[in-house]
Amino acid sequence: MTKQELFERLSTILQETFDTDPVKIVPEARLYEDLDIDSIDAVDMIVRLRSLLGKRLQPDSFKSVRTLQDVIDALHGLLEEQSA
Amino acid sequence: MLERVDRYWRVLATGIAFTTFGVGGLLLWLVFLPLLSLCFWLQASQRASIARWAVHACFASFVGLMCWLGILRYEIHGLDRLRRGGLLILANHPTLLDVVFLISLVPNADCVVKGSLARNPFTRGAICATNYICNDSGSGLVEDGIRSLRQGSNLIIFPEGTRTPVDGKMKLQRGAANIAVRGLRDITPVTIRCEPLSLTKGLPWWQVPPRRMHFTLEIRDDIAIQPFLDAAGGEALAARHLTDYLHDYFAKEVASHARA
Repeated sequence: MTKQELFERLSTILQETFDTDPVKIVPEARLYEDLDIDSIDAVDMIVRLRSLLGKRLQPDSFKSVRTLQDVIDALHGLLEEQSA
Repeated sequence: MLERVDRYWRVLATGIAFTTFGVGGLLLWLVFLPLLSLCFWLQASQRASIARWAVHACFASFVGLMCWLGILRYEIHGLDRLRRGGLLILANHPTLLDVVFLISLVPNADCVVKGSLARNPFTRGAICATNYICNDSGSGLVEDGIRSLRQGSNLIIFPEGTRTPVDGKMKLQRGAANIAVRGLRDITPVTIRCEPLSLTKGLPWWQVPPRRMHFTLEIRDDIAIQPFLDAAGGEALAARHLTDYLHDYFAKEVASHARA
C-alpha cells in the first residue's frame, strides 16, 4: 500500500469514527491539537487499523507519533516489515 | 468594624481548616494506612471499602468543622438520588472543596483524582488506601472507571479535570463521557455553586470572600446514555456528542450563577 493510499484510509477512518472535518485532514495535522484525537481515541484508531494490517498492533508503535504523517510513516514501516 | 472582625476571623478559621485537613491527611498516611495494612485477614477490596468509608466520615466531619468555624454554609437538594449504587456522578468544579462535599455525601465513593495528588504527602494516604483512580493514563482510566462502576462503587468525576478558570471558560475532557457510553451507565449530574465564589484556581486561600461562602449542591435527574449511542452509531462519536451536551449543561449552570 502506498503512503497516499494509507492517507486516504486514515482519512476515511477519521471521518467515520470521529466525524472529523475533512478540511482539517492534512498530513501535517497534529493529532491532539488539530484533530482533537485524545489518548482514548488513539486506542479506537489502533483497533480500526488492525483490520488494515491484518495483525495485532502494539500501541507502542505509535508512541512517538504526533502528526498524521507520523502515523502514515509508522504504518508504512510496519507494512514493509511484513512483506519483507 | 464587625465586618472587619468577621473577615479576620474567617482568614484565621480558614487557616485552621487547612491545617486540620493537612494533619488529617498525614495521619491517614502515617497511622491509618499502616494500621489497615496490618489487618492481614482482610482482602484488598475490603480494605479499600473501609478506607473509603473512613475518608467519607473524615470529609463529613470536615464540612461540619468548616460550618462550625463560620467559613461556609451549605444546602443540598436531591440527596435521595445519591442513595443508590453504581452511580456515575459527574459535577462541575468551581472550588477546592467540591470533592470534599461530594465524598462527604457518598459513603462508597470512588473518585478520579489528579495523579499529582497521589504523590502529595497530605493526600497520598487517602488516595493509596481508597484505591481512587488517578487520571494520568488516558485509556486505562476508562477501563478502571467501568470496572469500578460494575463493582458497585459510586464513581465521582469532575469532567473538567481541574477547577473551572475564573473567567468561566469551561473545557471538558472526554474521559467521563467515554466511561458512560462504553460502560453503558446513565449519568447522575451534580451542579455545584459557591456564592461568593472563592477557593478557585489560582486564588490563595487567605483571600477570603467578603461574605461567608454559601454552597449549593443540586443532585439532578439522571441523564440517559442510550439515546446518545443510538444517535451517534459509534462509541467514539457518542462520547463526543455527550461531552458537548455536558459542556452546555454545566456551562448553563455557571452562567446562571454569574447572573445571580
